[in-house]
Amino acid sequence: MSGTNFKPKYILSGHSKSISSLKFSPDGSLLASSGADKLVKLWDAHTGEILRTLEGHTEGISDVAWSSDGEFLASASDDKTIKIWSMELGTEAKTLLGHTNFVFCLNYNPHSNILVSGGFDETVRVWDVARGKSLKVLPAHSDPVTSVGFSHDGTLIVSCAMDGLIRIWDADSGQCLKTLVDDDNPICSHVKFSPNSRFVLVSTQDSTIRLWNYHTSRCVKTYTGHTNRTYCIPACFSGTKHKYIVSGSEDNKIYIWDLQTRKIIQVLEGHRDVILALATHPSEDIIASASMEKDLNIRIWYNESGET
Amino acid sequence: MNEFLISPFSAITHPTTVQTSLYAYGSFAKFDPSGRYIGVGRFDGVASIWDLETRAAIRFLDGHVKTVTSLDWSRNSRYVLTSSKDWNVIVWDLAALWDPPQRYATIRCDAPVSSASFHPRNSQIVLALLSTGEVYLIDLRKTYRSRVELVEPDDGDEEGGRRSAMTVARFDPSGKHVFIGTHSGSILVFSTRTKAMVARHRIAGGAGSLKGFDFAKSGRRLVTNSSDRTLRQFIVPQYPHPDPDGSFLETELEPTHRFSDPINKTAWHTMSYSPDGEWLAGGAADPATHKIYIWDISNDGQFASTLDGGREPLAYLHWHPSKSSIASTTKQGNVLIWHSPNPERWGAFAGGFEEVDENVEYEEKEDEFDIEDEEETLKRKMKAEEEEVDIDTVIEETSRPQNLIVSNGDDEDLAWADEDPDEDAAGWTMKIIMDDEEM
Repeated sequence: MSGTNFKPKYILSGHSKSISSLKFSPDGSLLASSGADKLVKLWDAHTGEILRTLEGHTEGISDVAWSSDGEFLASASDDKTIKIWSMELGTEAKTLLGHTNFVFCLNYNPHSNILVSGGFDETVRVWDVARGKSLKVLPAHSDPVTSVGFSHDGTLIVSCAMDGLIRIWDADSGQCLKTLVDDDNPICSHVKFSPNSRFVLVSTQDSTIRLWNYHTSRCVKTYTGHTNRTYCIPACFSGTKHKYIVSGSEDNKIYIWDLQTRKIIQVLEGHRDVILALATHPSEDIIASASMEKDLNIRIWYNESGET
Repeated sequence: MNEFLISPFSAITHPTTVQTSLYAYGSFAKFDPSGRYIGVGRFDGVASIWDLETRAAIRFLDGHVKTVTSLDWSRNSRYVLTSSKDWNVIVWDLAALWDPPQRYATIRCDAPVSSASFHPRNSQIVLALLSTGEVYLIDLRKTYRSRVELVEPDDGDEEGGRRSAMTVARFDPSGKHVFIGTHSGSILVFSTRTKAMVARHRIAGGAGSLKGFDFAKSGRRLVTNSSDRTLRQFIVPQYPHPDPDGSFLETELEPTHRFSDPINKTAWHTMSYSPDGEWLAGGAADPATHKIYIWDISNDGQFASTLDGGREPLAYLHWHPSKSSIASTTKQGNVLIWHSPNPERWGAFAGGFEEVDENVEYEEKEDEFDIEDEEETLKRKMKAEEEEVDIDTVIEETSRPQNLIVSNGDDEDLAWADEDPDEDAAGWTMKIIMDDEEM
């Protein structure tokens, strides 16, 4: 088992309220952060410098997502809109109207011509990004939708919600193809396809992260040890040859598990509040993390185990 | 990725219903090799590129001043070729970072261009058919830069030695040969590399003037459309290497199947094979209806079904490169996208639920309601979780037909075409251009 030795490298301050989401750009050069202070901030991922602040939403922001060419960033807000920001111009390129309640999560498809979003109106919406039009509204869940995403080839959409269900949809037709549910039906707070889209990684509010094989509807790995009973905390795959899973926790720590053995290989301490936002770098052993309002700093951690 | 969940076992069937229509004002519409886009040629000289995922026009290729007569895609869809009645062939580069896209090359011809196409392996080799009945092979590569007319050799014994006008010109799927159909109903086969004629076929029983060709992806089968209102399928013979002294194969071809409408005797506008070559779709030239005839080639060419697309007459059709989908264009310029819908499976909405085709008498298993030691269950579960998972390896889908014959280096014709390759590499991306118009 290869260990990790993540050490804090940068502490970035700028947000004035809870930080809700962190995402590295696809080329790994930038880090985007969003928060309850209605702002999106862009940081240099390798120096920690602040590059830009994007203002425009009238309520707090819950999630951000990069287009795969890194040219656009989308943000989901409690003002019921999604905004698309042009990175080249640093301005708002489009506002997507349609959700009837808070927009909570969103993601681009691999071609980045389509965006999927979910929110407190319990729908999953599919958008034509270039024209700013809604293509489909899926009456997906019976509680707020907490996470949505595309498979690597863009043919499947996965969504999960506070109703405890994980659903897999055909992106083209909008048909539901599969539903995964755990015996105890815990609230689902985050879902993500594995890099090859054969599995989905699901965080639930019974302090458990599960890796599901959705073809066989079987949970193949369980990761536990952290605390997660109240908030929607994401879990991430590593982007490097080190295979580990990272998640935040309500005990203010970050937990890292070995993908295969499911053992905790490192616990990162430093934040002074619940870790709400977390991201792994697409190609290097770097983690970005941020927490709720008692601690408004973003931390960037570098792996110094020397194996790379 | 979605195929397994939708229908794990089914092969490609033929489409049955219209999924959507695009108001494209075009005279024809053609899928790109990936099936993500559709290219539409318009009467006003513009060609539009549509994204089938968003069903919106994403690029307008504005360069011709008269009707666009044909459109072709390079193998990875980066380059688009348009031909027009304005005597030009234009090659467009969709990877260009600006909108409208730039012309990559313009080929000026000596007459209105009836159709043009890219060589399947190299978009720098272009085949053009002129409305005057001549065919040119235009090579834009630096080392081979040329424009050669493909001429049927004189054999003297024909009346006055007059050659018949060429009415169709297509590369075969390997690009090794150019197939040309003539007004008098013969099929001429030229070597793409040497530009020499390697074969001349007469169609057994005569067929009238040839109007169109389509190849099954393997290149082994050819279907022709001709003025006698019949589609004919032929097995493509093996051709010898071009003979240096100019002799060629002269044979009569016997069709394996003839497809026609025995009742209405309608002519055909176009025909297209399904990606696996198991189906053939024919677009009827009916002035009042939009009808597509489907024949089941795997079942000895039996007529399978007619698709009725409403009152706008059909002008063109094209089968999707990998799916059970057809794009048919109406005379009014709309493009109908046909598909075969998957029935909604309501069982998918419930977790751990399985649909069965027939009722099954349920038999309780011996240990089904035994109360197991929880600790024991957990231990077994944890044991099962020891198994390694592979989250990275992408399993390629096998059902997608391969488009290109792989060159193993020893084939002279393929090696020649691969020299000085174009920049049409897989994995290029078309930039998303934000529509400026506010909602």
